[in-house]
Amino acid sequence: MRKILAFSLSFLILLLSFCSQPERQPDEVRVRLVIDPANLNPVSYNSLEALQIINLLYNSLLTVDLDDNTLKPGLASSFPEVERNDSLSFFRYSIRPEAEWADGSPVTGHDVAFTLKLLKAPHVRNEQIKPQVEFIRDVIVSKDNPKHFTLVCTGFSPEMELLTGDFFILPEYLLDPERVLVSVTIPSLIKTDSTQYNTTRIKTLAERFNRLGSTESKDLLLGSGGYTLSDWASGQYITLQRKENWWGGTTGSATSYLTAKPERISFQIIPDNTTALLALQNRQLDVLDNIPVAEFEQLRQNASFQEEYNLHAPQGFDLVYAGINSRSPKLSDKRTRQAIAHLMDAASLIKVTQQSYASPTVGPVPPSVKSFYHSGINPYTFNPEEAIRLLKSAGWIQDKDGWYRNEGGQRLKLDINLLYRAGNTVYEQTALIFQQNAAKVGIPVTLQALEGNVYSQKLDQHDFDMFLRGISGNPFVFNYKPLFHTSYAGLGGFNTTGFGTPESDALLDEINTSQDPEEKARLLKRLQEILHEEATFLSLYFRKEKMAIHNRFTNTKVSGVRPYYDLSAFMLKP
Amino acid sequence: MKHLIILIKSAWQSAPAFRLALSFLLFLGLVAIILPWLPLPFQPNELDLDAVYTRPFDWTRFQEDKSFHWLGTDGLGRDLLSNLAYGTRSAFAISLPVMLLASLLGLLLGAASGFYGDRRASISRGRKLMLVPALFFFLFYALYVPLQLTSLQVASTDYWLAALLALAVPALLVVGIGALLKRIPYLKAKSSLPLDGLVLRLIEIETSIPRLVLILALAALFPPTLMALSILLVLTFWTGPARLARAEMLRIRTLPFFEAATSLGVPESRLMVKHALPHLLPPVAVAFSFGLAGLLMLESTLSFLNIGVSSELVSWGRIIAGIRANTSAWWLVVIPGATLSATVLALQTCSYYLLRASQHRVS
Amino acid sequence: MATSLLKRLLLATLVLWSIATAVFLISKVMPGTYGSEQLNQADPGYYSRGDATVLDRAYREFLRSTNQDLPLFYFSVASGATPDTLHRVFPMRDRLFLERLALRYGDPRQATLFFRNLKGFETAIAEQQRTILQPYLYAIYQHTQPVQLQHALQALDTLPLAPTSDTQKQRMLADGYTLLNTSIKHRYLQPAFQWHGLSNQYHLWFSGMAKGNWGISLRDGRPVAQVLYEAIGNTWWLLLASMVFASLLAMELALLMIRRAGRKWRQITLPFLFLLDSIPVFVLAILLLVLLASPAFLQLFPVYGMGYHTASEPNLFARMSQWLQYMALPMISLVLVNLPYLTNQFYHALKAVSEQDYIRTARAKGLSESAVIRRHMLRNALLPVITLLSDFLPALVAGAVIIETIFAIPGVGRLLIDSVLARDYPVIVGIVVVIALFKLLSHLLADLLYHVADPRLRQAAR
Repeated sequence: MRKILAFSLSFLILLLSFCSQPERQPDEVRVRLVIDPANLNPVSYNSLEALQIINLLYNSLLTVDLDDNTLKPGLASSFPEVERNDSLSFFRYSIRPEAEWADGSPVTGHDVAFTLKLLKAPHVRNEQIKPQVEFIRDVIVSKDNPKHFTLVCTGFSPEMELLTGDFFILPEYLLDPERVLVSVTIPSLIKTDSTQYNTTRIKTLAERFNRLGSTESKDLLLGSGGYTLSDWASGQYITLQRKENWWGGTTGSATSYLTAKPERISFQIIPDNTTALLALQNRQLDVLDNIPVAEFEQLRQNASFQEEYNLHAPQGFDLVYAGINSRSPKLSDKRTRQAIAHLMDAASLIKVTQQSYASPTVGPVPPSVKSFYHSGINPYTFNPEEAIRLLKSAGWIQDKDGWYRNEGGQRLKLDINLLYRAGNTVYEQTALIFQQNAAKVGIPVTLQALEGNVYSQKLDQHDFDMFLRGISGNPFVFNYKPLFHTSYAGLGGFNTTGFGTPESDALLDEINTSQDPEEKARLLKRLQEILHEEATFLSLYFRKEKMAIHNRFTNTKVSGVRPYYDLSAFMLKP
Repeated sequence: MKHLIILIKSAWQSAPAFRLALSFLLFLGLVAIILPWLPLPFQPNELDLDAVYTRPFDWTRFQEDKSFHWLGTDGLGRDLLSNLAYGTRSAFAISLPVMLLASLLGLLLGAASGFYGDRRASISRGRKLMLVPALFFFLFYALYVPLQLTSLQVASTDYWLAALLALAVPALLVVGIGALLKRIPYLKAKSSLPLDGLVLRLIEIETSIPRLVLILALAALFPPTLMALSILLVLTFWTGPARLARAEMLRIRTLPFFEAATSLGVPESRLMVKHALPHLLPPVAVAFSFGLAGLLMLESTLSFLNIGVSSELVSWGRIIAGIRANTSAWWLVVIPGATLSATVLALQTCSYYLLRASQHRVS
Repeated sequence: MATSLLKRLLLATLVLWSIATAVFLISKVMPGTYGSEQLNQADPGYYSRGDATVLDRAYREFLRSTNQDLPLFYFSVASGATPDTLHRVFPMRDRLFLERLALRYGDPRQATLFFRNLKGFETAIAEQQRTILQPYLYAIYQHTQPVQLQHALQALDTLPLAPTSDTQKQRMLADGYTLLNTSIKHRYLQPAFQWHGLSNQYHLWFSGMAKGNWGISLRDGRPVAQVLYEAIGNTWWLLLASMVFASLLAMELALLMIRRAGRKWRQITLPFLFLLDSIPVFVLAILLLVLLASPAFLQLFPVYGMGYHTASEPNLFARMSQWLQYMALPMISLVLVNLPYLTNQFYHALKAVSEQDYIRTARAKGLSESAVIRRHMLRNALLPVITLLSDFLPALVAGAVIIETIFAIPGVGRLLIDSVLARDYPVIVGIVVVIALFKLLSHLLADLLYHVADPRLRQAAR
């Protein structure tokens, strides 16, 4: 008896001794990550989490200043000079004179050439990024000044400027000390002739490079960015340490967005949402983004929490939309699709699934981009009577268990097979609400929550009636050609809905070549009108991002563009 | 069957806890059956977007002329009370047939392995040889062809054709060709079939990994349909009844009346049905109710983790998973959690008293 | 003794091999291959990042570099209706379409011909006619009955097209009609056997496994052995600590109940344990989390992960206490979950011993009750407990899966869930094999201990 008492008492004391919360350092920013990025390789990374961290370790030629959501020169000293010739275009860049690697050597055009070779080389795991730089044919580094270089590209499209500046520049001295890739030219890598590059030396280099970004490669994971990786406990935390005397501090006006302010940045890996929220309420996190709406509302009611934290809800650029398969005979009439649009009830979706933290939209152009958004159209509203009228005018006849139409001697039934990706609560709720709305006018809707691979395979094969999807946008480039042009409507193409009229095809090409903002606005507005009329691509809303940041920091640059805040700019309040 | 009823009766008379547990289970079963006639104000999947996350007994929302959410709602305004009621139905609609099938499979395999052991089952070498292609053809028609057919959306007659072939071709191989092969003297000789060893190996392989781990590893690979999950569950839950049935069979075989019947030359089938089965039922019933409890917990865990279960399925686990989006909605855990625990408790109580009663009787 | 142990070892290897093979094969047979997740689902975004053909090429390269384009096994048994070069058709959507065609019409050669010409026709279509042709192509690709295909072909036949695509169209139509006419119903019921040789995925994977190379995690490109090693490190201590706690607690409870005066204790603890046993792990863990680690109720514990980095290197004691701080809640959950089962088993083991003759003798000798229990009963009850614990440790893993997911501990359980969701089959196979290995080893160990400890068994073995 005594024994068990002593035992339970000691256990209790042990437990109670834990009640104190661990102390923290004020100049350390602590951020939550959903998953361990596992791979921080600047070429083959495969998560947004990894991208957020790599962004602090490496620089790219151009960068986004979250302060005003504009593209600005990063490693490059200014935007490229573009020269277009009939089938080629040339982008002339020069790298900032101050820019240097961790060992003090300057960043030059040779590093850019080396990076591009890695992006195109065989044996390197670059399958994801390779298509992105497919259009770059060659790099010519100036003989007089290695900081100047020219990218030679095939064709021209408006997003090319962004894409030429989008990849991380890697240090040649560190990753290729034997200078294996120097003798290999980029055109030879593009050709499928493998005799030139299939050497064991290149294979060894690729093998070594593929290991970069794992937890063991800390000493190789050094870039031109303001931070170095100091600790990485797999599945637990990743800590970055500020570089001493980083070159970014001496760049004049650019210092406002090339920053490395906090001494340490610590990423805590917490996969479970509930746990992350509790951690935030326990004051163990400084930044938490992607807060579920219900919780965000509760935090908003919580006064003691708001004494220490600021809540932000910037307007984001991620569009949620419903796609309708216009190839399907039952959905090929636009009046049928408009009827469905009248059943979507975007207003309720925003209210319930987003608790009003979203803005309705008429099309894929974000309402926050005022100059291009068509404010003259009214979004579809929930209206069962109108839906029934439209269905009737499209030739559908209501029967006991649904709507029917005669099609080539066969009785065609209007039923909808709605796909969405399993595990996503917002799509699930959206699908359920739509199902209930459609049932009100007598259209049966089958929901299919599919695992990611199967889902994309079905979309690729056009084996669906409707689907729900999100698409990440940005405020800089509006090239809708892949989404809406008929040349992308084949199997596996990006134009999954099969949208397209001769007029819209012409419009999309014109939008991409027009340089005049007013002309572009006119064209984009016309595109929005056609999209609204055709109702194959039902834009529902742009989500607001929801996050909490500890209020001892200022200059957080909260924005709707990923990653929603600039950790490198965080400053302690004086 | 008679043995089982006697057993239940004796447990009912001796233990009040058993009475309580069984009544609770019967009540749940009744709720599940009369659901369509219950005056529930809402359908389980009916959304009430104006009443999201209402608390249980939130009288401020009570209005005379409108239906009331007695136990509150979840994030989409789905009524907790009707979800709980319909959740009961789907909990039993899944786990009862699954466990029945699993018990049947376990009973068959366990009894056969206990009865025949490693040596008592013997067939000619020719037929033994034919077993391998027979198994192969069975798998081809019962597994491969139906899987291929699902992608074609063909009529159900094609499935029946495949099912017919799945039975006919192996039977033809074993019975027909096996008989032909008997003409060769070597193949005619009898050899024993190590049935017991085979079943034991199968059990050993399946139980060498925790069940949850096995299900998780497999559930993510199959499409999240009820059918796939049920098959998976049957294939993992038969081991418990099989073990008990085998042990009981081994015991029965040594009993005097059984040995007497064997020596009198009573045919095997009659031996099994008339003499062995009544004794096998009580242990299988215990394994059944015990397995049912485990199955209920597993099913709700899978719904909670959102692996292998469709989100349209009304279930207790789905309600509990709602807590992940809103930690302050305590009623989403407490109410279904308590119902789930009470059901499991009742099942375990039943199996405990059944076990005790049967041991009592034996001794 | 040696031969029986050898026999068991052989059997254990067989069991391990069959489990690993089953998981590997099933994970490969199911639809969707890893890698398409990131490559094929690349969001189109607001600007193009390469078109479909470029992405397809990148995807094929990925498959080749990871050996995923090889045949799966030494041989394959497929329906006789499918073309034997099917596994070489890429992308996946084309392969599935061709497979459907071949199965439906039962003519692999003609189906392939029609498929090729259809693809050729698609590339030849003029820009302006794409929109008009879309519904017909959709009908061909999605048709579920031969009559639908026939309608689509007839409709295309009457449609005037630009001369560039017309010859392609005629070829496609001719092959389509032949396919319809030569169609053999139920040809898919005929099995066809195909030999692939040693250059197959299974052979490469298994020979790697045998050499101790467990493969590379598809998710992060690290060796599986290392990923597992890190995860096991975290789980191991949690499991060991909770097992020790749970066993001690259960033992004390069982000892309390076995006393003659233990009746009162039994009446209190048994219903409580019974109740505890019926609460599912995830409900218990969430309740603990909401009750003990949230500011809304009681905030006693830190809630996530396994601590975090601090600048100064803490001493052992500080590290230990920090670890315990984070492990407390998961440990309490695991202890509570396993307490009923353990207590019950201990109690029964003790009870069985207490009915033995020598205990009665010891009691009759006039030894005090606690002396009888501690000296005689405990020692003899320990034997069945050995097997029990060896059985119990792997079973704990199942509880750990849920606990680790809820409390965000980077252990084996969470690794399993993560890799299951990402279809990282080398890691899944690795985890399953490790757990099975662990269980088999502990069984062997228990057997060995039994043999050493109990002379009666050695007799029986002979």
